[in-house]
Amino acid sequence: MALRILQGLLPFLFILGLSPLLVGLINKQKALLTGRTGAPIWQPYYELIRLSRKETIYAKTASFVSRLAPVVVFSAVLIAGFMLPVGYTRPLLSFNGDIVVFAYLLGLARFFQIIGAMDIGSSFEGMGAAREATFAVFAEPIYFFTIGSLAFVSGYTSLYEIYLSIRLDNPSSLVFIIVSSISAFFLMVTECSRMPVDDPNTHLELTMIHEVMILDNSGVDLFLYQYSSYIKIMIYGIYEVLFFNPFGMQNQWLGFSLFIVLLLLLSTIVAWVETMIARLKMKNVPQYLLFATAIGILDLLIYTFVK
Amino acid sequence: MDYLFLIGCSLFIIGAIASVLIQPVRKALSFFVLINTLAAAINLIFAIKRLIELPQVSNLFPVFPQYASMFRADGLALFFLLIITTAAIPTVISTYSYLKHYIHKETSVRVFIISFSLLLLFTQLLVFANHGIVFLVFWELMTLTAYLGMLLEKEKEEVQKGSFVFFTATHLATFFLYIFFFLLNDNCGSWLFSDFHISSASGTVFYLVCLFGFLGFGMKAGFMPMHFWLPWAHPIAPAALSAFLSGVIIKTGIYGIFRIIEFCSPLPVWMGLVILTVSLFSAVFGVWYALAQHDIKELLAYHSIENIGIIGIGIGLGVIGITNSIQPLVWLGFGGALFHTFNHAIFKSLLFLGSGVICHNYKTRNIEKMGGIVHHAPWFVGFFLIGSIAISGIPPLNGFMSEFLIFKGFFNGAAALGEYYPLLMLLMTAGLAFVGGLALMCFTKINSIMFLGTERSRLDSFKVSRTDHTAMGILAFLCIFFGIFPQSILGIISSAVTLSRNELDMHPYAMFTRWEFLTVIFAGVLLIVMVMIIWKKFSTKQRISDAWGCGYTPQTPRMQYTASSYADEINSIASHTLQIKKHAILPKTMFPKKSNFVSHSEDFSEKRIAAPVYNYIVSKINSFDFLSKTDIRFYISLMLVIAVIYSIIAIIWP
Repeated sequence: MALRILQGLLPFLFILGLSPLLVGLINKQKALLTGRTGAPIWQPYYELIRLSRKETIYAKTASFVSRLAPVVVFSAVLIAGFMLPVGYTRPLLSFNGDIVVFAYLLGLARFFQIIGAMDIGSSFEGMGAAREATFAVFAEPIYFFTIGSLAFVSGYTSLYEIYLSIRLDNPSSLVFIIVSSISAFFLMVTECSRMPVDDPNTHLELTMIHEVMILDNSGVDLFLYQYSSYIKIMIYGIYEVLFFNPFGMQNQWLGFSLFIVLLLLLSTIVAWVETMIARLKMKNVPQYLLFATAIGILDLLIYTFVK
Repeated sequence: MDYLFLIGCSLFIIGAIASVLIQPVRKALSFFVLINTLAAAINLIFAIKRLIELPQVSNLFPVFPQYASMFRADGLALFFLLIITTAAIPTVISTYSYLKHYIHKETSVRVFIISFSLLLLFTQLLVFANHGIVFLVFWELMTLTAYLGMLLEKEKEEVQKGSFVFFTATHLATFFLYIFFFLLNDNCGSWLFSDFHISSASGTVFYLVCLFGFLGFGMKAGFMPMHFWLPWAHPIAPAALSAFLSGVIIKTGIYGIFRIIEFCSPLPVWMGLVILTVSLFSAVFGVWYALAQHDIKELLAYHSIENIGIIGIGIGLGVIGITNSIQPLVWLGFGGALFHTFNHAIFKSLLFLGSGVICHNYKTRNIEKMGGIVHHAPWFVGFFLIGSIAISGIPPLNGFMSEFLIFKGFFNGAAALGEYYPLLMLLMTAGLAFVGGLALMCFTKINSIMFLGTERSRLDSFKVSRTDHTAMGILAFLCIFFGIFPQSILGIISSAVTLSRNELDMHPYAMFTRWEFLTVIFAGVLLIVMVMIIWKKFSTKQRISDAWGCGYTPQTPRMQYTASSYADEINSIASHTLQIKKHAILPKTMFPKKSNFVSHSEDFSEKRIAAPVYNYIVSKINSFDFLSKTDIRFYISLMLVIAVIYSIIAIIWP
């Protein structure tokens, strides 16, 4: 039992400790692809340390909501991280139906992030919050069309068991997995506020989503928001990568190394996509997300009839 | 033990009578609140005790054995009694401070007090009725007392109009129910619910019974094409009554639908699919219409439609489970539906009571005029926030738990049924997730616009009385309790499903998931929140300063995001269905004159379905205008003619 808990804690430490590194890697590769030297891959860690030491400034109009929101966002995202298998170790919190709880815990984080942003009463934050809420409406079904359709195909409702059930042996399921993973990539891009949905680097309030929502946060609050956004990228990265990791159940170490390689590959893909594509017009984002939903449905239809 | 319910009911009657006799009216109000809270508490204890003990159906009123067959306390009825009394206690408590405002203004509140206590009584008796006629009588009395209660501010024009819409719509529903019960009686030869059984072998009659039953009860519940009366009735009712209306009275429609499923069994599978589709439609468009509203109570009324949709999805799953005899699916579907009915009664009452307090302080229901309430009443906002999170179906509150059961039902149904079901269930899952996203958007909208930011119109003080805090506090506590510890009620729900279906024991199915994990998760979230708050408090310096203005300093409250602008992006996608009308006078010249912008949404089914049908009927009836004469002898002769025609038909009828 103790060993089991220890084993379950390792993935947690993995997510908590290495998620800034993943972001650092993405940023570094993006810089290299655009011909810059870029910041060192450890930069996100330095930033987190710097933020945690700064003083926290609250707006005059802020209430208890914006004091509470960063904390709730951080803890909800962190606990959601507990539920994902890292390289096929059984996560600490794994039970029937955790697929729904996972999605809705991230919903809790989103709820508080939005009202935390709206608490200031500034129109900048309002803009970001309205966009976040609108895009979330279209992002939510994608989650169920990717991992959810796997659940319906396999009959399991726990994330760990669903991922375990993936087989890449016959062509129809291979195509199914690949197309699902494309939908999942769209979802990841949206939820983690990356290009082409959101540009984390523009520094122009009118064009951002996530960054503009946290305009008025500083110090510890900003630390919590940034950290939870790093963790979110890690969570969605794992969510994406596990689609292609069917070897883990035979050999744990082989599975884990493959997992790491795939995660690195994912960071390259994200960096590459961000280099190649410009940000979409805001009004086109729902169509972009509906496109992801549509290919998810189409894919499932094909799979159901071919199988 | 058996006398408990009798005592409770007599206390309601005593409360109603005493509120007429006691002078002055302020004392009558206190007496009403005390005695009705007590009576509801007694009935609540009765319901819980019966549900835990799992008795056989027995006499409800031991003093009157001759009426024993008229009333029946089965699992479903007891569970609805639980819902009614749970919602009744806080709403009654909140009436104390709410009605005091009217006593100050010297409005007569006695009629409201009497009709409200009778409404509570009749609703409870309604769910126990075992006789078609008795049911219809209580149904009618419930509607009448609710209508009388609505007329508290009868001098206002919108109140007259809204209550009239309520009155006509519910009577249309009652009309369908008359046909429903007459057909059942004709077919089964009895008026007793326990004798009502009809199967699809009886042919057309079966489908007619189903049709009229679903029309009547569905209209009361507010399923989508028949929902148009809800946004009229809820806003104009006094807060306590709209809480009870939305939390309980529309649920009597759900109760009726459960009864249809009991009478007409087994329902064909396609009917289950129709229920699923209509419900998903109600859920999606209910919440989408809600997003387009600026009137807080109208918005909450549309949210009732959404939640009725979610309940309906559970019922549809249960029906599919019955026809395919998959017991776990029956449990998850019906259990989820019953649990959501219970939860909705809790958080919707909470939100409506909150909206009552807001309307009293602001004298308007338009949320665009509000803002910054959190700086006046943080506790009040905290309670309202809890209700909002719960209704959006977000963990760790109770709204999530019932949706979780329904989600599990989708997965379970797909695994057990095979064929094309996985695809269907996946679409339903994605649909429910979409509804969740819209609900999240809607409730972040109203919380942000009403409570956060700065005041859009001047607000000197925001008064929340102690009774309001108590009533909302109880409900908020229940939201948290049943969210973190759902095991406490799952047993009772299992009893209700088992008792009402007289089938296998449903209790084992309640353990379909390991609930302790959920408790661990929520406890973990709370723990990390606590630790972080403490860390934040002691680790860093804090300072208060101006908000970031991007270099622009003279910010005014009018520059904040409004409810319309917040929701515009998503509403423009469905602007055709939502019938969003925008009227704008935009600045054009170099020295612009006064400009403004107004947007509102019209109800599609009201404008395109209900109103045209109503107008058509009115015009047809008007064509009989030539019959109306001023002379009374003319009418008497007409009646004679009709009587003669009837007698001739009666004679020549085989």
